Amino acid sequence: MTEQRDPHGSEGSGPDGPASGAAPPVPEPTVWQQLTGFRGSTTRGTDIALGVIGFALLLAIWSGLVAFEVVPKQYLASPQAVVVRLWELLTRYEFLDDIGISVYRVWLAFLLSAIVAIPLGILMSSFRIVNGLTEPIIDFIRYLPVPALVPLTVIWLGIGEASKIALLWMGTFFQLVLLIADDARRVPREYVEVGMTVGARPSQVLRHIILPAMLPSMVDNLRITLGWCWTYLIIAEIVASDSGIGYVIWSARRYVKTPEVMAGILAIGVIGFLTDQFIRWLHRRAFAYLR
Amino acid sequence: MGNDGFILIDRVSKEFAAHGKSAAVRVIENVSMTIARGEFIIFLGPSGCGKTTLMRIVGGLETASCGQVLLDGATVIGPDRKKGMVFQSYSSFPWLDVIDNIRFGMRFRDDISAAEKERLAQYYLELVGLRGFETYRVNRISGGMRQRLAIARTLAAGPDVLLMDEPFGALDAQNREFLQEQLVGIQKSEQKTVIFVTHDVEEAIFLADRIMLFSARPARVLQEIRVGDHIGTERPLAVKSTQAFFALRNSILDVTRKLALQTEKIMLQGGMSPA
Repeated sequence: MTEQRDPHGSEGSGPDGPASGAAPPVPEPTVWQQLTGFRGSTTRGTDIALGVIGFALLLAIWSGLVAFEVVPKQYLASPQAVVVRLWELLTRYEFLDDIGISVYRVWLAFLLSAIVAIPLGILMSSFRIVNGLTEPIIDFIRYLPVPALVPLTVIWLGIGEASKIALLWMGTFFQLVLLIADDARRVPREYVEVGMTVGARPSQVLRHIILPAMLPSMVDNLRITLGWCWTYLIIAEIVASDSGIGYVIWSARRYVKTPEVMAGILAIGVIGFLTDQFIRWLHRRAFAYLR
Repeated sequence: MGNDGFILIDRVSKEFAAHGKSAAVRVIENVSMTIARGEFIIFLGPSGCGKTTLMRIVGGLETASCGQVLLDGATVIGPDRKKGMVFQSYSSFPWLDVIDNIRFGMRFRDDISAAEKERLAQYYLELVGLRGFETYRVNRISGGMRQRLAIARTLAAGPDVLLMDEPFGALDAQNREFLQEQLVGIQKSEQKTVIFVTHDVEEAIFLADRIMLFSARPARVLQEIRVGDHIGTERPLAVKSTQAFFALRNSILDVTRKLALQTEKIMLQGGMSPA
């Protein structure tokens, strides 16, 4: 076969094999194809844009429901009314103090449970006896619904700060300690054995290997648990309190001040979202070596 | 050489106790051997035959069910920095950079000064050819470099014996050959006693002073091959294409092929997965 081939053969491959010259570029998939393709890829910019669009759609539907009175006004306030009310609360009704006390309760309880859960979780993963003695108890308490514990905390600790902190602590500690123990267990056995074969004692393995190795996933779990703290906060503040976001929401309910109820919920959402994003950002910076 | 007996493996057997539905499994059957100071020993055998377990017993990371291991006259009772270990998987710490990973090998030594530690860190960095990568994060360097890093860290701890568990198993063929060659060079300057586990026959011949060929599970020593008698003690890469090398490889492969079939049968009959 000595057939002469077209030197600029861009008509595709002939029967003799591929044509010579540069192949035509394969078209890049469009953003739409990437986003809708099964397990497709995306960029950070598109991701943020999608998030904004999601919120915008939610707002549009919400406004529509109110504007066309699909839902009566006393049940669903318009977004504008909620924002206005939130502004009034902040500027005229010392709502900032309520936010402050709620944030304080959440963080105090969260820190107290982390301070106990981190060492205990690590010990559970390191020593069978600690794990054997504590895990069944923790597993049992973990399944108790937090609201069911409210009466007990009130009987034991009254209706002051202590009972609220205790309630939040119980809601998070028993979940957190198991997550921490798992994080520690997932540290590769090789890492531990490297430590032992360069002469580290168990306490040194814990401090110099297990702790840094588990840190990224531990911070993730702390972030998630902090979110749960907010859920229990509302329960604590609804039951017996005269301050806090939960208290504001619950007293507004009594007079069917729907915009105020929703303003309180919005405040929690915003605080939660910002905290979460902040911790994620810290995580990305501190653990850049993971990527 | 000969009966210097730096490491003495004395009638070691290992049985993993029954648990749950799986019956007790005997993985090592009455193995004895003597290893001289500075010798490069290969444990060769089919996957899952128990050779890694035997090496881990030497390292103090597992305990024998019967028998004992003596290192320089003392019974091995647990891991310490005298028994250095290079693992099959990447075992360097991702939160440390290259030079800090090497320093980690000396972190718990109190027999040398801080200045000496720093000198050694630089020495081993150079030895494994990672100069210029000091500040690189571990997951920014290649698999071959990571294994060299693991070797440097292990040597930095000042071990009497270097235990290597299929350290090049995860590398591609070119990298593997390159690292084998480097290891020969490192061994020349360091004169360490090495126990190296592999199931790759060519790797075994190229590296070993002596090959211990193990049976299928439970591991017994089937053959002891003094590689130097066949291909000499000098190991340029070209030795891999000599007649003598091929002849030795083929004779060992004949045995290992049969062993692999045997092991497969054992695995199919149940029992636990290889440790």
